[in-house]
Amino acid sequence: MSARKDVLKQQDIIGSLQPAIHVPQNWNYEVEPDLYKAYMHPPHDVGGQFDVPVRYEEKEEEQWELDTYVTCEVLGWRGLWNSEERRRRADNDLGYTLYLGIPYYGRWILAAARMLVDKGHISLVELIEKIAEVKARHGKK
Amino acid sequence: MARSRSPKNPQRPAGKARFKVGDRVRVKDLPNLFYSRTQMYVRGVVGTIAACTYQDVIPEDEAFNRDGQLEQYYIVRFRQKDLWPEYPFDNDTVQTESPERWLEPA
Amino acid sequence: MSNAHSHGDGSEHPAAPMVEEITDFEVLEIAVRELAIEHGLFTADDHRRFTEWAESIGPAAGSRLVAKAWTDPAFKARVLEDAVAACKEIGIDWAEPTGFGTPSDYMNLRVLEDTPTLHHVIVCTLCSCYPRPLLGMSPEWYRTTNYRRRLVRWPRQVLAEFGLILPPEVEVRVEDSNQKCRFMVLPMRPAGTENWTEEQLAEIVTRDCMIGVALPRPGRTADIHPVQKARRPVKRTSHPPETAHERKK
Repeated sequence: MSARKDVLKQQDIIGSLQPAIHVPQNWNYEVEPDLYKAYMHPPHDVGGQFDVPVRYEEKEEEQWELDTYVTCEVLGWRGLWNSEERRRRADNDLGYTLYLGIPYYGRWILAAARMLVDKGHISLVELIEKIAEVKARHGKK
Repeated sequence: MARSRSPKNPQRPAGKARFKVGDRVRVKDLPNLFYSRTQMYVRGVVGTIAACTYQDVIPEDEAFNRDGQLEQYYIVRFRQKDLWPEYPFDNDTVQTESPERWLEPA
Repeated sequence: MSNAHSHGDGSEHPAAPMVEEITDFEVLEIAVRELAIEHGLFTADDHRRFTEWAESIGPAAGSRLVAKAWTDPAFKARVLEDAVAACKEIGIDWAEPTGFGTPSDYMNLRVLEDTPTLHHVIVCTLCSCYPRPLLGMSPEWYRTTNYRRRLVRWPRQVLAEFGLILPPEVEVRVEDSNQKCRFMVLPMRPAGTENWTEEQLAEIVTRDCMIGVALPRPGRTADIHPVQKARRPVKRTSHPPETAHERKK
């Protein structure tokens, strides 16, 4: 990641994640009311939006998905958050790019991590160091 | 009916239900900010109360961990033709749930 | 989505290539779980107990409920009156595994009865609300923005893509499960099953029939969809589609 060519590659990927508003956005002195309303629309509210037919497929449930589900539910069981907080964080506060771009349970676990930091149960640096340690433990670059 | 939560605050029940089954109601179109579970596609549309269900905290409170005040919830039935003018079948319907404050008499 | 789709017979994907390296979401999940346990936010035993419950649920419970409702009119009346209470009669307690239910499923189940002129189908346009204690985990397609976008506006097209074409005189009623009720469809008992036992009947009440994207019929005992194979480890039993879970007695 630290190599310069990797940094430049990352810049390309991040650039491709920009919300697709195909008008210049350099000076946002004002936002038109319709655009403001669209910005404020919760990303999870998709009912009635146009989409094309796809193959509706099943997916084998992976262990980390089950573990994520259980971790989030047990956090609820033990009073750390309620389901509405989870759904709010997971489905909306992440924003469109992540909402549409990551796995279903990826939203859940990101939401859980964010909640634990936001509420002060763990510190961000503690979480970052834990992530680095888990990566090292599993030989992940 | 029981709710899946151990509340941190004493719960204050809702008053008498404002609507009954068969009443015509319009879904309010309040401004969006941060969070809502009232879908855009039913806002401003008139439907019929299909059921009075339970009392619970409203999503706008619960999403921010305010859990004291309960409110009456309803199932509201809409004609597809009222939701989507181009909809081709007269009889088809959609039902969604709504807490009382999002509904007004129509 | 993987590029490993087979576009031949449309029934099965080839095995997706297994990802050798642990993924970022797996790392995050391990980190969050370990920190939560280290800080005493929950215990490893809490996690294990909830996992055991999660691995015990599946659509077989819903199938049994429908089959019993078809053969026992008094039971059906109780299902339609108070579905959570009726579930207890077939061994499903919505208060499990915590004593107050799961944090996400709530204890407000409503069973929607189909008639010759009314067909129900469920969706959650806002996320993926689903009656887990009775039907297990939702299928992947149920969680997609595609299904959620289209079902409330083009239900007959979506149903046709599932192979279900209904005559115009049948009212299609979409139930958008957007708050705290959970819904399940009670389909009509098909002709040709007159002398069947509850066990025989339960076999044709597949998960899709209880979501409302298929109708039960003799000989149809499985929901056939393309299956995205796991790219990361699957421990013990996987959730549907492959495994019909028989609830632990």
